[in-house]
Amino acid sequence: MVKPDTLQEALGMRSGKVPLAGGTDLMVREVNKEFLYIGHLPELKGIRALEGKIIIGSATTLDEIVCSKIVPEVLKQGVKVMASPGIRNMATIGGNICNSSPAGDTLPPLYILDASLLLVSLNEVRTVSVMDFIKGPGKNILREDELLKEIIIPDMDFTYAGYRKIGTRNALALSKASIAYGYKIEMDRLVDIRIALGAVAPTPVRSKSIEEFLIETYPWENGEMDRALVMYDKLINPITDQRSTAEYRRWVSLNLIKDFLMEVSSGED
Amino acid sequence: MVIEFVLNGEKIKTDVNPEKRLLHFLREDMGLKGTKEGCGEGECGACSVLLNGKLVHSCLVPLIMVDGRDVLTIEGFRKTERFRVLKEAFSEEGAVQCGFCTPGMLLAAEALLRENPEPDEEDIKEAISGNLCRCTGYLSVVRAIKRASIKGKGLW
Amino acid sequence: MDISKPVERVDLLEKCQGNALFVDDLEIPGLLHAVTLRSRIPRGRIKRIEVPEIPERYWIVDYRDVPGKNSVKMLSEDMPFFAEDKVNYIGEPILLVVGEDKEKAKRILKDIQVEYEEIEPVFTIEDALNGNAPPIYSDNNRFVEYEFSRGDVDDAFRKAYKIVEGEYRTGLQEHIYLEPQGMIGVYSEGKVTVIGSMQCPYYVKNALVHGLGWPEDRIQVVQATTGGGFGGKEDFPSLIAGHVAFASIKTGRPVKLILERNEDILSTTKRHPSIVRHRTALDRDGNILGMDVEIILDAGAYITLSPVVLQRAIFAGTGVYKTPNLRVKGIAVATNHVPSGAFRGFGSPQAFFGVELHGTNLSEEMGISPLEYKKRVSVRRGDLTPTSGRFRSDVKIDEIMSRLDKLSGFTEKYQKYRDEKWKGIGVSLFFHGCGFTGDGEVRLDSRVKLAKRKDGKVEILVSTVEMGQGAQTALKKIVSHALNIPIEQVIYRNPDTDRVPDSGPTVASRTVMIVGGLLQRACEKLKDHMGEMEYVVEERFRMPEYVRWDQEKLHGDSYPEYSWGGVVVEVEVDPVTFEVKTSGMWGVYDVGIPIDERIIRGQLEGGMVQALGWAYLEKMDLKNGFLIPGTITDYTIPTAKDVPEIVVELVRTPYEYGPFGAKCAGELPFVGVAPAFASAVQQATGIRIDKIPITPEYLLEKMNGD
Repeated sequence: MVKPDTLQEALGMRSGKVPLAGGTDLMVREVNKEFLYIGHLPELKGIRALEGKIIIGSATTLDEIVCSKIVPEVLKQGVKVMASPGIRNMATIGGNICNSSPAGDTLPPLYILDASLLLVSLNEVRTVSVMDFIKGPGKNILREDELLKEIIIPDMDFTYAGYRKIGTRNALALSKASIAYGYKIEMDRLVDIRIALGAVAPTPVRSKSIEEFLIETYPWENGEMDRALVMYDKLINPITDQRSTAEYRRWVSLNLIKDFLMEVSSGED
Repeated sequence: MVIEFVLNGEKIKTDVNPEKRLLHFLREDMGLKGTKEGCGEGECGACSVLLNGKLVHSCLVPLIMVDGRDVLTIEGFRKTERFRVLKEAFSEEGAVQCGFCTPGMLLAAEALLRENPEPDEEDIKEAISGNLCRCTGYLSVVRAIKRASIKGKGLW
Repeated sequence: MDISKPVERVDLLEKCQGNALFVDDLEIPGLLHAVTLRSRIPRGRIKRIEVPEIPERYWIVDYRDVPGKNSVKMLSEDMPFFAEDKVNYIGEPILLVVGEDKEKAKRILKDIQVEYEEIEPVFTIEDALNGNAPPIYSDNNRFVEYEFSRGDVDDAFRKAYKIVEGEYRTGLQEHIYLEPQGMIGVYSEGKVTVIGSMQCPYYVKNALVHGLGWPEDRIQVVQATTGGGFGGKEDFPSLIAGHVAFASIKTGRPVKLILERNEDILSTTKRHPSIVRHRTALDRDGNILGMDVEIILDAGAYITLSPVVLQRAIFAGTGVYKTPNLRVKGIAVATNHVPSGAFRGFGSPQAFFGVELHGTNLSEEMGISPLEYKKRVSVRRGDLTPTSGRFRSDVKIDEIMSRLDKLSGFTEKYQKYRDEKWKGIGVSLFFHGCGFTGDGEVRLDSRVKLAKRKDGKVEILVSTVEMGQGAQTALKKIVSHALNIPIEQVIYRNPDTDRVPDSGPTVASRTVMIVGGLLQRACEKLKDHMGEMEYVVEERFRMPEYVRWDQEKLHGDSYPEYSWGGVVVEVEVDPVTFEVKTSGMWGVYDVGIPIDERIIRGQLEGGMVQALGWAYLEKMDLKNGFLIPGTITDYTIPTAKDVPEIVVELVRTPYEYGPFGAKCAGELPFVGVAPAFASAVQQATGIRIDKIPITPEYLLEKMNGD
């Protein structure tokens, strides 16, 4: 295990090692490579507002996110239902993103927030959308020489946004299915709607084209809601595992979308 | 790697493997048996300690994360007045049965009351949501923590 | 002074301070660690075991290192300490690797190769009974079968106005005591001492006598502070005790074996899954003319305690219902998973899940509120028990149901929810037989000793174990009150078989009523000798005169006394997700005179929450021989956020033969929750519930399937 003092130093040692911040996922796995401890690096900590964006350091703990006054509510809602207080005090948002589990509860909120990720290496800095970052269960495009430095969330102004998790129980639970949703209505017109689903496909699911369809056809008086549901049905690909069944996951996700759409169309919060 | 930290108010310096879990360090190297291993994977809370005042599952914390920080275990906490008030409340409400989850529950209570000295029932349930108990059914523990917050008004 | 008034638990301080010593806390010089190699297949023959070169100061311990008989003596001797040539469940122990460094021992373990020849396994009750695979046990996979009857149930069906049938199923449940199982074995100067987490020191000792083939005075068993048991530490501690004993003898050093959590889940006993079938004959008014009941238990790979679990289940087969004619059949079948064993209720929860959900269905057939109906057709004092003994004491069903109705608002809500979808309320009525089932107490022949010491203190010498349920506090209270001495003058240490007589196992809710009863009688004898320097009294169990029981015919008083309970559960089901929220739970119980009201409340609340977990959260299936889920991450017991408001109340029927009028309490609160929960969900969803756990996935399946 190595403990660099600065981000630069960390990047210099990065290759061939596994970055370790909060440890709540990695400490229960068998890891055959050496750890690169980065949870203490000041460059990776902190939450700040900058030019209309919220910037969150990747080693920010989940508890720090919940306590922050500026983090968007929908992300806080996702974090609040994760694991347990003891885990949230150590676990980091960067860890949850890089773990890239389709059931990761920070992910659907980050998807609908159009979050992007700042990836740094010794020679390069690049920004990628979180949706492009995650490729499959446990798979992402982080290179061997890169670290996730920051999460950048553009300013968002929803009429309402929220996160709902269907867990195996009310705490210490992994998601069987989850939904992050948000919408904006301006003068009886739907100007924005976003939906992201967790745990029902190899990655979280969000479809901008279905959202555009919903915006265009609002208030959905000709069966458009049902057509959207059919479109989501085709996108998701849930599995049966020790926590739940494919049938249930499919049924409940579509129900959660429908429930949300009905809320939007009735104009209620 | 040399790790230095404060344990129950005393400075500790050690050269053990930085990957060693705080739980095992406490139990094996320091002989402090009050912190328990119920699952070894952060799913039961029996290993709870306070790290810089925050509740953590010590079975998941490698020593490297403890460097330069402050650890409180039940052995340190039991010397305090707050512990005495909590212990009385746990007794009055029947919140102790087999005792295996108890040190963790007490530290979870301490962590809560430090941040929120007047918690309601929902706050308490949230605070102990990572501490499993198979004996009590939790309600007596919730009542006990509430009772302690009232009886110990001003302590937190 | 009122004995029921709560006192501070005698073990409170050490448990709060964190200095109660559980087995893993014990430091012994020269300690070695043992890790276990376990079968990876559900059924087969071991063809070959290839062990790599073992470094110095590391050892392999296997069946060849068993000095006596390689079988864990329980009711039978079919389960080996170490598999020799056959394995019958994934997780079955084959050998140990023992050494100084536990991580190194685990690495050695990983390198051991076992070659198996697989045999077609038996996974379900249906598999076990249809005879397609070679039988695991005997020629038909039936470990035991029982039947008893009264009257002419077939005639009752011929005369019936209505016949109602139902089939109900329950699943595996894992104890998840917070402290995993573990033992330390110390061999020194020809004697073996085993210290560990256990409920029954003498079960462990007897198993070691059998496994070592040594005389009793060379074997000592000591209970360490035990972090929960719930029945899960009734039989398998004997298995682990054998392992550390053999290892300690072979290595000449103390050996510690503590199960890791997921290993504990994988390889220790589970609650018996069950199929309970009911066929009931009703007359025009809904009175029960006859009940035909079949209970099939999935006993897993070895017999262990299944005969008694099955007996307790069938002795509760017709539940609280009054019926002149009945037939109850029970079968315990062998399957290829970890043996099913004791778990709070011990067959009774399975039986009552069936009969009480069925009772709800009977009430619906008759168009009567279940609270009314169950009250109307249930037994009262003087009526026959299921095994045709008598309920000799007051059966306070009227009071229980009346209190339940007032507390929960059942009658009003039941009516309201008939028209309101997604909300429901259910009620159950049940009893628990106090003490060991059938002739068990007579065979146990329990003894207690009470010793007045020179220093004026009185020491309780029993083999009963404190595992959280408050046994030490309760028994100390009984002696303190009976002798009229302060409780601080009463000593009661964790049992050590070198010092205490066999007062029987800590099971069957027998501790206060049976062992406490013996202690109270011992106190009566000791009273006259308190003036002497030292004095020891021994008291031996005697079944009360009025108990008439025929173990052959399974006829008569299967228990000397019964505790009673009623539970109401109110639920709200989310139509979008089918998640069930418990809006409230009420329980009214008659456990006689509570020895400590606060400890009783803890048992009631704790038992009800554990049962709620069984009813809807705790799902475990056998998939190709694997227990799924098999980790504490995914085997979800209730957390603090999963617990509803619970209201409990007591009614009191003092029992003449119980200490200060106490009956039994530990298992009772588990028994009634699941059927009340299921009844409530049935009303809320309109779905006919036929099994637990009632997960959202199950509700969706039923909604789509029916």
